Amino acid sequence: MADFRLVAEARTEFGKGSARRTRRAGRIPAVLYGHGQDVVHLSLPAREFAAILRNGGTNALITVVLDGTEQLALTKSVQRDPLTRVHEHVDLLVVRRGERVTVDVPVVTVGESGPEALVSVELNTVSLEAEATAIPESIEVDITGRGAGEGVTAGDLPLPAGATLLTDPEALVINVMGAPTAEQLDAELAEAEAEAGIEREESAPAEGGIGEGDVVPEPQAQGGGESIESTENS
Amino acid sequence: MLIPRRVKHRKQHHPDRSGRAKGGTQINFGEYAIQALEPAYVTNRQIESARIAMTRHIRRGGKVWISIYPDRPLTKKPAETRMGSGKGSPEWWVANVKPGRVLFELSGVAEPVAREAMRRAIHKLPMKCRFITREGEV
Repeated sequence: MADFRLVAEARTEFGKGSARRTRRAGRIPAVLYGHGQDVVHLSLPAREFAAILRNGGTNALITVVLDGTEQLALTKSVQRDPLTRVHEHVDLLVVRRGERVTVDVPVVTVGESGPEALVSVELNTVSLEAEATAIPESIEVDITGRGAGEGVTAGDLPLPAGATLLTDPEALVINVMGAPTAEQLDAELAEAEAEAGIEREESAPAEGGIGEGDVVPEPQAQGGGESIESTENS
Repeated sequence: MLIPRRVKHRKQHHPDRSGRAKGGTQINFGEYAIQALEPAYVTNRQIESARIAMTRHIRRGGKVWISIYPDRPLTKKPAETRMGSGKGSPEWWVANVKPGRVLFELSGVAEPVAREAMRRAIHKLPMKCRFITREGEV
């Protein structure tokens, strides 16, 4: 795992006014806690922190440098504005080298499943106990050639050495289902269109076509449903 | 088409359009999603139309989740009716969507396919939306 360093500054004033001033200055308000030590209020450089999350994932081990002292930390929680995507606040958890920690590690699928299979990732993360310095960035699962019913449970996941699975080993992580046939899909969509009163002018040629431009503009349907019968609502 | 099976009151006040979404702003099930950037009333027809546009593009490859539900009735008085005489009759079922809300989620397809499917779906919706990914949520 790459070593990420962040130079933090201690915060002396608190509240939303101070937090907003901190954010305007290009820094993120944060707290650092763990191992029974007092909570330390600090601020982190926003760009560098975003780069760490982008490159190291949510479980990146960070060396926080505060007033010349270094501490290892993991991100416990990150608050992010859903619209602007700005990091608003970070909780950092103090860890020690060699300590075993519980983390949620993302599951990533690689390869192509069988031709008639539909892959659904049921658990996007699994809980692991691992050494703080050896947390895997993700767990890769090869789904090449898997057909319907050949799902992957948590117990089947290839774990790195030293890591222990905490999630129920029987829990389904990747579900491989049979894809609906083209006829089933067309019938379902035609029924839904008929119910919603959506007209498709070029439906027949588009079905056998190359896929592009198969959705016909629906100026009448776009209008917003003025033709919905009020009787069905009552 | 999504419609409540049974309601306690047939007619309601107009839903509040101010503010931002306070929940449902993260991707929960899929890998990709459509996120609203403006407030809007999204009717059940628009939801269905967007879902169909998306499903037609991804064909048999992926799975679609709808994260909003049109549970608010809007009423309308008949044309050329004088004011008064009570509230109009229920005409639409809408979801009261606020900025930041995730509307649809999608998984099981490659990102370019998902991006195009969701672009088509966004054209069926009455407000500005954007395509987001689970990786970008970090």
